[in-house]
Amino acid sequence: MATAHKGRRSDRWMAYGFMMPAALLVGLFMYWPMIDTFRESLYSTSFINPVPSFVGLATYRKIFADREFWQVVVNSIVWTAGVVFLQNVGGFLIALLLNLRLPGQGLLRSLILLPWVLPGVVAAILWRFMYDPQLGLINSFLIRTGLSDHGVGWLADPGTAMAAVIFVAFWKGFPFSTVVFLAALQNVDQEQVEAAKIDGAGATRRLFDIVLPAILPVVAVNMLLTTILTFNYFDVIYVLTRGGPLNATAIFPTRIYEVGFGQFRFGEAAAYGSLAVLVLVLFVGLLLVAQRMQARAV
Amino acid sequence: MARRSTFTRKMPLVALQLAVACLVLFPFFWMVSVSLKPATEPFAIPARLWPDHPTLENYVLAFRPEFRRYFLNSTIVSGATVLITVPLALLAAYSLTRYQFRVLSAFLAAVILAQFFPAGAMIIPIYKMVKAANLLDTYASLIIAYITITLPVSIWMLRGFLARVPKTLEEAAAIDGASPLRAFFDIVVPLARPGIIATTVFILIVTWQEFLFALAFTSTKEMRTLPVGMNDYIGQYGIRYGELMASSVLVSVPVIAIFFFLQRYFIAGLTAGAVKG
Repeated sequence: MATAHKGRRSDRWMAYGFMMPAALLVGLFMYWPMIDTFRESLYSTSFINPVPSFVGLATYRKIFADREFWQVVVNSIVWTAGVVFLQNVGGFLIALLLNLRLPGQGLLRSLILLPWVLPGVVAAILWRFMYDPQLGLINSFLIRTGLSDHGVGWLADPGTAMAAVIFVAFWKGFPFSTVVFLAALQNVDQEQVEAAKIDGAGATRRLFDIVLPAILPVVAVNMLLTTILTFNYFDVIYVLTRGGPLNATAIFPTRIYEVGFGQFRFGEAAAYGSLAVLVLVLFVGLLLVAQRMQARAV
Repeated sequence: MARRSTFTRKMPLVALQLAVACLVLFPFFWMVSVSLKPATEPFAIPARLWPDHPTLENYVLAFRPEFRRYFLNSTIVSGATVLITVPLALLAAYSLTRYQFRVLSAFLAAVILAQFFPAGAMIIPIYKMVKAANLLDTYASLIIAYITITLPVSIWMLRGFLARVPKTLEEAAAIDGASPLRAFFDIVVPLARPGIIATTVFILIVTWQEFLFALAFTSTKEMRTLPVGMNDYIGQYGIRYGELMASSVLVSVPVIAIFFFLQRYFIAGLTAGAVKG
């Protein structure tokens, strides 16, 4: 690409000079903390005992024996898989709908990103109000239409809390996927689609044989992105349930915050942080393997 | 006749589209409706969709001094983050698109990898650094945190835009005797303007709503940002939903307004990054 520039020394210095400030910041505030998290997890610090003492892997042993940790792992997987599935499948279906050129569509297309732009804490407060057992609009609707006679404690019941927080994350996040998929759909070669239509391919055939393979790279990137963002998402769960009731919605970020800043057990919080990286890497790895296999099948 | 049959065929799809519109927009309608209700009305059972006696009293109550302070804090922190991140990201993105040295490819890989790091994993060491530097409960601590959150993505977005600036323009400038630095400021920066706007909007949306670092790094009311201040409101005044919803509207209006005015650039920026991979 820039072969013409390659030999010139002044260009080389300019390139390094331009890169340097960003590189320093990324190194100092991203890579160093990442390493330091692991180091910190080998020490024990608490509110009562603020002088760090080296404990090796003892904290990890303690965490692995803790049932709450395994619940955090299961919750994180359910939460991430649930939100990513809904955001991508829902986002894709809605993108297909918005790509059909129906009447009155322009307005919706420009309004659809609103939930994504709305600050997470505001979205959470708004939905907390709608989920409220007594005053909430959702129970009010269920009772008035006779679907339920007493209403549901959506966020207070361990059986429904996870589904309730997943739905809020879906509502807030799917518009992003829709907009990305819509852009990808508009780049699909229309001549190819028309040719298939003339050859007698139905809408489903055209979708699976032409449209989906064409936008598969975008789907892959978007799934990767939503997985990372959802796994690390803190605002919605913290404001809606704080990880409760009975740890039913506790995920890595809420647990790290609670252990680190609620109980001042920094070593344990750091160990949770290191394990979060590990779980996320495994999760993303599985996703990539699945995508590669699917790409081969297509 | 043909027209009628396409119409009836499209009816279910239009209905579906209406359902999507309701799903997306109804909570916003509800937020505004409740914010306009007098103090006792949100407690009416069953709930009323429209306010019976609309009033602005909740907005007057919501605009209390501490709220104005949160607003100021969020504006300062978001603004400073944009002013520092955008130039740094632009310089880095430029060297990444124009030159191909091994060090630069390594840096690009490092930037991409950094986006995988969970904020939850890094918050303990960053907290310790900030504390050691005596910066807890200051704007600087949040600005530093936000620069590191937004810098890698900004480099990524701007790289997508800069890749489209034709290199021949710079080469022509070089032949005319302009220094590379001069060519950068006179040619590249103006052409990258849509990308700069898109990145700015993105940073504003991200920092305006950031919650985890703001919650951990600030402890006094004077330093709280809007999201943390909003969270403090829950329970603090009992459940005064009317006021809470009025504050929510006030918090959301600036980002939504900026987004609407600059939507065109912003969506181009998003899709440039995501679609191009």
